[in-house]
Amino acid sequence: MSREALQESLSAVMDNEADELELRRVISALDDADVRATWSRYQLARAVMHKELLDPRLDLSAAVSAAIADEVAPAKAGRGPWRSLGRLAVAASVTVAVLAGVRLYNQDEMSGAELAQQQPVQQQSPSMPQVKGPAVLAGYTTESTEAPRAAAPGQSSWNDQRVPGYLRQHAQDAAAKGSESALPYARAASLEDR
Amino acid sequence: MRSLALLPLLLGFGVSAQAATDASQWLNRLTQAEQQQSYQGTFVYERSGLFSTHDIWHRVQAGKVSERMLQLDGPVQEMVRVDGKATCVSSAPASGLDQRADASRPTLDPLRLMSWYDLAVAGESRVAGRPTVTIDLTPKDPHRYGFSLSLDKQTGLALKTLLLDDQGRMLERLQFTRFQPAVPEQAQLAASKACRPVQAATSVTTGDAPVNWRSDWLPPGFELLGSSLGRDEPSQSVVTRQVYGDGLARFSVFFEPLAGATAADTRLQLGPTVAVSRRVDTPKGKVMVTVVGEIPVGTAERIALSMRLQDAQAGQ
Repeated sequence: MSREALQESLSAVMDNEADELELRRVISALDDADVRATWSRYQLARAVMHKELLDPRLDLSAAVSAAIADEVAPAKAGRGPWRSLGRLAVAASVTVAVLAGVRLYNQDEMSGAELAQQQPVQQQSPSMPQVKGPAVLAGYTTESTEAPRAAAPGQSSWNDQRVPGYLRQHAQDAAAKGSESALPYARAASLEDR
Repeated sequence: MRSLALLPLLLGFGVSAQAATDASQWLNRLTQAEQQQSYQGTFVYERSGLFSTHDIWHRVQAGKVSERMLQLDGPVQEMVRVDGKATCVSSAPASGLDQRADASRPTLDPLRLMSWYDLAVAGESRVAGRPTVTIDLTPKDPHRYGFSLSLDKQTGLALKTLLLDDQGRMLERLQFTRFQPAVPEQAQLAASKACRPVQAATSVTTGDAPVNWRSDWLPPGFELLGSSLGRDEPSQSVVTRQVYGDGLARFSVFFEPLAGATAADTRLQLGPTVAVSRRVDTPKGKVMVTVVGEIPVGTAERIALSMRLQDAQAGQ
């Protein structure tokens, strides 16, 4: 079984979105130390996002702390790794029973940032696979796309002068003729807002 | 548990067979509705960090379509269109609106679109408190974006339009929050004082050789809709413009002689719209080719690099 498939299944189980097959897959893989580590990492990332907290006695190795630094921020922007997986839900109680090794504690007064401070980042366990969250962005990319790229300073004056005019002409022309919907108009209006 | 899971599948089978109200029929209905249905409402428009709200009044009377759109937040943006032509806009047009550039009225032609997009009824939903059916137009190649339309079941009009890239990321959204299939009053369609009448672009005298640029490569399905020559007001330079479309997506190509000006090759992405500028050497000097449109940046880049001056000797 591929590692990716297993990680996806883990993520699904965590979010009560796993089907039977995935649940079995995860149960049979629970003996694997790597799988357990991945599980706790997912749990931690999720806990931070939900402002819950895991009991640090469990599996919080230094690598987990490193993982917070590496993974939580992008995962947040992507609204969590579970979004992409539309699956049949399995009752929460089943999941909890299966994964009895992991207990959740609510410590509302502690934030993820504080946790990160408590567990100083140590980069000494590179064996931990750096899983890219299978996040599929449902919204916009966070990077700013409003700025022109690859324009050397001083060279771009012509472009700065002319390209906005082209953009407006393209948009307004489509809006002026488009009988099909309000979309070209809205695009043109949005250019004027800048 | 297994048989329970199958139950909705079995039920759904009968429903989907019966609801063979297929996507192209819905698109035909949409085109028809726009020419026949009066309505008024409020919609939001959203693209990469920008969000605005607008009112729209749309009246069809004796086959004549009049509509007025007004932005409700921020600076006043207004447009009045009669029979698919703008009669006034509140913002100064970039360099006049050339009504000739492409006279063909854009209508959705499902048969044409089917060559470049997969059309499918994706499900049912609710928008602005009204039941809708969702039609997905998924591109068959990487040279255009996908659309997801939520059409009002009662009227067939689009209450929600999403533009999606190849990763399924949303590039823009237009969504009604209030919609009434009611005829607007005359007063609601009247332009305010801020709305300035549209004048035609200052066109270069006809008789000039028309556009002598051609493209070595175009994304499949895109056709030249029209071309025009215009004089830009401040710089007085003659700008050649071509408009291409695949029946849904559009892009413009602008050709402007640089006349010794220093300019850079640039790429600009504004929500769904990309603008790619590339310098092209011609026997008459450098010309800046700028592709602007709602197409992926890689495609725009390739189009810009494929533009050739058709016959340097014969042209001018």
